[in-house]
Amino acid sequence: MTEETLEFRTSAGFSMGVELELQILNSRDYNLARDAADLIGMLEKTLNSGAVKPEITESMIELNSSIHHEYGALAEELRRIRDVVAESAARMNLRIAGGGSHPFHKWSERRIYPTERFKRLLEVYGYLAKQFTIFGQHVHIGVPDGDEALYLTHILSRYVPHFIALSASSPFQQGEDTSYQSSRLNTVSAFPLSGQVPFVQSWGEFLDYFNRMRGFGVVESMKDFYWDIRPKPEYGTVEIRVFDTPLTVDRAALLAAYVQSLARYILTERPLAPSRDVYTLYNYNRFQACRYGMEGRLIDAYTQRHAAIKEDILDMLRVIAPHAAELGGGDALGQLAGEIEAGRTDAGWLREAYRTRGSLNDVARMQSERWMGSALANI
Amino acid sequence: MSTLNYLPSFPLPPDPVLLFGLLLLSGFAGGEIAHRMLRLPRIVGYVSAGLALGVSGLGLLDYELARQAQVFVDIALGLILFELGRRLDFNWLRRDRWLAATSLAECALSFGCVYLALVYFDIAPLYAAVAAAIGVSTSPAVVMLVAQELRAEGQVTERALNLVAINSVVAFVLATMLLSWIHHEYRAGWAIMLSHPVYLLTGSLLLGFVASWAAILFGRWLGKREELHLVMLLGLIVLAVGAAAALKLSVLLALLAFGVIVKNMDRNHDLMQVDIGKVGQMFFIVLFVVTGATLQLGELMTGGAVALVLILARFVGKSIGVLGFAYFSGIRPGSGGLLAIALTPMSGFAIVMVYNATDLYPEFGAKLAAIVLSAVLILELIGPIAVQFALKKAGETAA
Repeated sequence: MTEETLEFRTSAGFSMGVELELQILNSRDYNLARDAADLIGMLEKTLNSGAVKPEITESMIELNSSIHHEYGALAEELRRIRDVVAESAARMNLRIAGGGSHPFHKWSERRIYPTERFKRLLEVYGYLAKQFTIFGQHVHIGVPDGDEALYLTHILSRYVPHFIALSASSPFQQGEDTSYQSSRLNTVSAFPLSGQVPFVQSWGEFLDYFNRMRGFGVVESMKDFYWDIRPKPEYGTVEIRVFDTPLTVDRAALLAAYVQSLARYILTERPLAPSRDVYTLYNYNRFQACRYGMEGRLIDAYTQRHAAIKEDILDMLRVIAPHAAELGGGDALGQLAGEIEAGRTDAGWLREAYRTRGSLNDVARMQSERWMGSALANI
Repeated sequence: MSTLNYLPSFPLPPDPVLLFGLLLLSGFAGGEIAHRMLRLPRIVGYVSAGLALGVSGLGLLDYELARQAQVFVDIALGLILFELGRRLDFNWLRRDRWLAATSLAECALSFGCVYLALVYFDIAPLYAAVAAAIGVSTSPAVVMLVAQELRAEGQVTERALNLVAINSVVAFVLATMLLSWIHHEYRAGWAIMLSHPVYLLTGSLLLGFVASWAAILFGRWLGKREELHLVMLLGLIVLAVGAAAALKLSVLLALLAFGVIVKNMDRNHDLMQVDIGKVGQMFFIVLFVVTGATLQLGELMTGGAVALVLILARFVGKSIGVLGFAYFSGIRPGSGGLLAIALTPMSGFAIVMVYNATDLYPEFGAKLAAIVLSAVLILELIGPIAVQFALKKAGETAA
């Protein structure tokens, strides 16, 4: 076993990066396909290395942006990657879709992507590994050191319901309407090492915890923790992992802009101190966001105020507006607020698609047409 | 004795239902033996059961009975061709021009190689040309059913199925055009020479179009209910098969056209994708048993050498065609070779064409049969194994 030093790399403040897990569909009945290896092989010829990666099953592909400081550049890069991926997929008669879950695939039909790590996960987690064919967006925010990473993680935990409600796009699972806005996170919760970071304040204490867990033989590396938010020492970032992959890359960029501005607000103004109460209420608030999305009720651990998640986000958007302006993300946050006020969400869009078409195959098709956009029509 | 006339008389008179049951069960048993004991594709077992029962074996299934079973064979082919047609995606060919180029190349080269090889070995040009036209096609039934049995999906599977759909059409059109030449050879009038191919092609296409149009209208009216769409499509498929046979059109082209047009005309996505496989399975088994039953091992003695020439030339042509463009098409290195191997089977369609020719001009049909049917016999047994090998090696079968 290689000894992981877990030295925390320094990153430029408020830099950001995005990972998107996406669905590979066939173009016949729009069920999940199994062509990840071929698609990745083709994309590696055109995209820079590291931009595409395999995920746990052969029906998934992960796209990575490079490091950005500004929303505009991130959105532009994501759109460029989207076009390349969409074009390559179309050439192989495949479709790519966003969304946190595939509406009707059967988990038992999934095949694990053949790498050592993924095969081991199947051995350890059994059917959960195949059920893990769900699709999330991860947002990385650069921080100067490990202590700052932990502080940011604890404060961001207060806003996890925001992230869930803003991205919720997995109302359907295994051919059924789950009644949730984000059903994806229920699947994540089944893993024994999911949950939250321990309530420690300094990187030294965190290392103690990590080494203890490793000593017990529970984990080998940070990758084994499936926490909602986790420090990523080798990148020098805090990684937020609760987002469902949105239906478009534009939305993905907006979400990253929100996190970036929020992080700047938290780290420069230091408005709150880490509180155990946040974690006491954590699962209740998280459930509300998964089940009801924007209409869920959030209890603020600091003020005991009860509010609709929607209102809480709109309040926050006003608070962090100066930081967004400073980072060049003012327009992005304005756009996000507009969508919220208009009541437009990805989960709502998916349910509407099902209502009008009456078939989940059509939902998956429309999902892929939405993600691929003009790239599908133009080639 | 007259009091006992409620008892059956022996030997039992041939009865289609009895025949169907017999074919189905014997094929099924053969398939399971091939699969469990020899780890071969079940199709090999179906064909072997047919060989054992048929003219080359016990002789229980003679040509007369095989003819009676033709209705099941036609339904099976109809189901397969419709499904294959639905997989032929013109948008894909437009987006991946290299796939389109591969398709053209493998058709042209397999025709060219077989024709030249046969002519080189002193086969008359007309026979060489018809045999080459037949050689262009890959058996849709074998490729589709092996893929279905292995639950294969992926680039090699999908590309193979698209290439099969196209080379089936090309082979059919080539063979139909050569019909004019045959008519000419047998001094039929010029009116027949021109009108017969035209009737076959336009008539079959028109039938496919009408069926597609009906399917889409029905589908829209029924709404998104898969079980209803399944029955409706099955009904239309059987109807179209019957109509094609009654009107002396091509079941192959009509049903393939039905599938292709329905897929490409359904702009509103009114039709659902249905799984014909489970319902079709019993017809598919009978199809291969009957195919096996009509094959003659004796032909191998006389036509074996020519058959080997045909098979080799065909494989060379298809391989060059596929490998020449594999690099540019977006598949992994090595997949090109597997794709070429997956195109090996040649079967039912060739037999049908030979018999059609025999119906028109018995002498011509007999000569053609000597060239083609031994190749069919060999490939009927090797083909499924080749497809299974290719799809497994490509890693596209269900684990």
